[in-house]
Amino acid sequence: MDIVNQLILVAAALLLISILVSVPSRRVGMPLLLVFLALGMLAGAEGPGALEFDNYQAAYLIGSVALAIILFDGGLGTRATTFRVGLRPALSLATLGVIITAAVTGLVASLVFELNWLQGLLLGAIVGSTDAAAVFGLLHAQGLRLKERVSATLEIESGANDPMAIFLTLALVELVAAGATRLDSGVLVMLVQQMGLGLVLGYGGGRLLVYVINRLPLATSLYPLLALAGALVIFSGTLNLGGSGFLAVYVAGLVLGNRPLQANLGIQRFHDGIAWLAQIGMFLMLGLLVTPSALLAVALPALAVALALILIARPLAVFISLLPFGFPLREQIFVGWVGLRGAVPIILALFPLLADLPNAQRYFNVAFFVVLVSLILQGWTLAPLARRLGLEVPTTPGWHRRLELDLPGQLDYEMVVYVLSEDSPALGETPATLRVPPGVGVAGLIRDHAVIAGCEAVRLAVGDHLLLLARSEDVEALDKLLTTDKVPEHLRESRFFGEFVLDGHATLGDVAGVYGVEVPADSRDSSLAEVLARAFKRRPVVGDRLPLGNLELVVREMEGETITRVGLKLTH
Amino acid sequence: MNITELISPQRVVARLGTTSKKRALEQLAELLAGHAPSLTPEEIFDSLIGRERLGSTGLGQGVALPHGRLAGLTEPLGAFASLDPAIDFDAIDHQPVDLMFALLVPAESTDEHLQILADLARRFSDKGFTEDLRHAATGEELYQRFLTQDARQRESA
Repeated sequence: MDIVNQLILVAAALLLISILVSVPSRRVGMPLLLVFLALGMLAGAEGPGALEFDNYQAAYLIGSVALAIILFDGGLGTRATTFRVGLRPALSLATLGVIITAAVTGLVASLVFELNWLQGLLLGAIVGSTDAAAVFGLLHAQGLRLKERVSATLEIESGANDPMAIFLTLALVELVAAGATRLDSGVLVMLVQQMGLGLVLGYGGGRLLVYVINRLPLATSLYPLLALAGALVIFSGTLNLGGSGFLAVYVAGLVLGNRPLQANLGIQRFHDGIAWLAQIGMFLMLGLLVTPSALLAVALPALAVALALILIARPLAVFISLLPFGFPLREQIFVGWVGLRGAVPIILALFPLLADLPNAQRYFNVAFFVVLVSLILQGWTLAPLARRLGLEVPTTPGWHRRLELDLPGQLDYEMVVYVLSEDSPALGETPATLRVPPGVGVAGLIRDHAVIAGCEAVRLAVGDHLLLLARSEDVEALDKLLTTDKVPEHLRESRFFGEFVLDGHATLGDVAGVYGVEVPADSRDSSLAEVLARAFKRRPVVGDRLPLGNLELVVREMEGETITRVGLKLTH
Repeated sequence: MNITELISPQRVVARLGTTSKKRALEQLAELLAGHAPSLTPEEIFDSLIGRERLGSTGLGQGVALPHGRLAGLTEPLGAFASLDPAIDFDAIDHQPVDLMFALLVPAESTDEHLQILADLARRFSDKGFTEDLRHAATGEELYQRFLTQDARQRESA
C-alpha cells in the first residue's frame, strides 16, 4: 500500500512541478518540452530523484497513447481553411521531405557510427519527423503570429509526417531484424497499405464519430470523453487492421475539428488539456527512461548527427520539397530551420529496443541527444528568427472571453465578453454609437457587479463588462474596436500594411497613375488582387509583399482565396 | 518640404458642415481651386474621387487623407478641414471621419511627394495630434493648432 501511495505522490508532484515551471520558462522563451525532459532526467536514476525506470514496454505503451492523443488534438485544432496554402507543401514535406531528411541524416549516421546503410537509414528515419506542438507552443508563448503560408505548412506537416516517420522506422526495423541490408519493393506495398487504410479509416471513423456525438443526448461532460474514446478506438482499430493508426487519429481529429459539432468548445478545451497532460507525462517518462551518463558517451558523434540533420538534411529536404510551390526565400529559410524534433523520435527509438536489434541502445541514446540539441538550438532561436525574417503578421491581443452558445441549429454564434481597459478605444462611446460589424449584437453591460438595463445610451467606462453576440469570424474586428491598441511599433497596422488601403479589384494601371509609378503595359488592366495572386503562385497570404516602383503592395485582407484589400506602403 | 507649408489659413476650415463623403470632397476641391488658378474645382474633385474609387483614403480613427495627382500644378497643395458632423468614409475601421486633409501633387511626381503623403499619414496617426485638432472652433485656431502640434512632433521625433 505504501508503495502505491508513494507512487501517486511522486507522479502528482512531478506533474505539479512541471506545470508550475511552465510559467518562468515561458517568460525566458525556453522550450517547455525541454523543461519536462530535464525534470524527468532529474527525477531519474542518476538524478536526485533516483527513480529507477527502464521498462521499455511500458514506455512504448504510454508513449503511443500519448502520441495518439496529441495528434488527435492537433487535428482538432487545425482549420481546414489553412489547407488552401498549407496542404500541398506540407504533404510534400511529410513524404518526400521525410525521406530526404532520413536518407541524408542516415548517410551521415552510417559514416559516424560505422553502421551499414540500412542501419544508418533507420537512425535517420527515427529522427525524421517534426513536432508542431513544440513550435506553436513557443510562438504562442511569445505572442507571435506567423504568415499563414508558413504556419499552415508547418502545422499540417508535423501532423502528417509522424505517420511517415513511424512507418519508415517500423519497416526498417523489420528489415534490419531480418538481416537485410537494402530496401525492397515490399516496403512500397506496405506504405500504400498503411497510409491508405489510415486515411480511409481515419476519415470514415471521424465522420461516424461526428454523427454519433451530434445524435446522442448525453450529459455535457461526457461529449469530450466520447470523442476521446472514439479517437482511441479509431487509433487502435486502424493499427489492428494493419493501417497507420497515427495517420487515422490525426485525420479523425481534422474531421471533428471542421464539422459542426455539438459541445464543440468543450471538446476542444478538454482535448487541449488532455494533450498537455500527454505531453508532460510523455516527456517526464522519456526523461526518466534515459540514462544521462550514457548520453555523454555518445555525445560527440550524436552531435555530429544532430548538426547534419539541422544544418544539412532538413534545409535540403525543405528546399527540394518546396520547389514546386514558389515559397519566398525567407519562408524557406524559416521552415528549414524549424524542424523541431519532439517526442516522436524518442518513442520511435524504442522500436529497435523492443525488437532487440543490435546497437538498439545506441539508437535510443543518439535519438535522445538529437532531440535535446534540436530543442535547445532551434527551440530557443525560433521566435527571434521569425521576427528577423519578417514573418510575423499583426495580431490582436484578443483579451476577451468566449462562451459557446449551444443552441440547436445556431452552432456559429458565441457570446463574447470584453472587460474594457483604460486604453480601450471604445471608452466614451455608447453601445449604440459603437460601430460593431453587421450581424453583431450588444447583449448587455455589467458595471460594478450589476446589469445595466437599457444600456444603449450608457457611456462605456473602464472596468465595464460588455457582452456581445457574434459569429466567430467577427471577433477579430471586435478586438480591434474594444481592446488596447498598444502593439509593438513594427506591427502597427500602418507600419506593417502601409499607410493606405486599396480595394483588391482596383486596377494596377489606375493605382500606378495616381502615384506616378511605371508598370508594364500588359499588367495595367489587371486588378491588384490578380497581380498579387500571380506573384505568389495563386496562393497568396496576408502579409505577402510586392514592390511597385518605390511603393509596396501588401496583402491585407482575404476572403477565402480572393484578396479583398491591399495595403499601400509609401515608405520602406 | 515641411507639411505646414502645404496649407495657409485660407485653406483651413473648422467644423465644416457637410452631408456626405462626396459633398465633403467637393467642398475641399473648391477650397483648393481658389488657390490653384489653373485648375477648376471639377478637375480637382474628379482627381480626388478617382482615387477614392481605388479604396477609401480613410486612415482610421476618424482621419481621411484624400489625394490626387494633377497636371497644371507646380507645387504640392493642401487643404484641411475638421467636419461637424463626422461623416461615413468607408474607412478601414468603419469609424466616421471628422478630420480631412486633402493633398494635390503635380503630375511630375517625385519621391518627395510620396514622402509628404507619408509624413501626413504619420502625423495623423498620432492620437495626441488629432485629439488636439478636434478642439479647434475656428479655421484660424485649427491652423494654429496644426502648426503648434507639428512643431511639437518634430521636436520629439
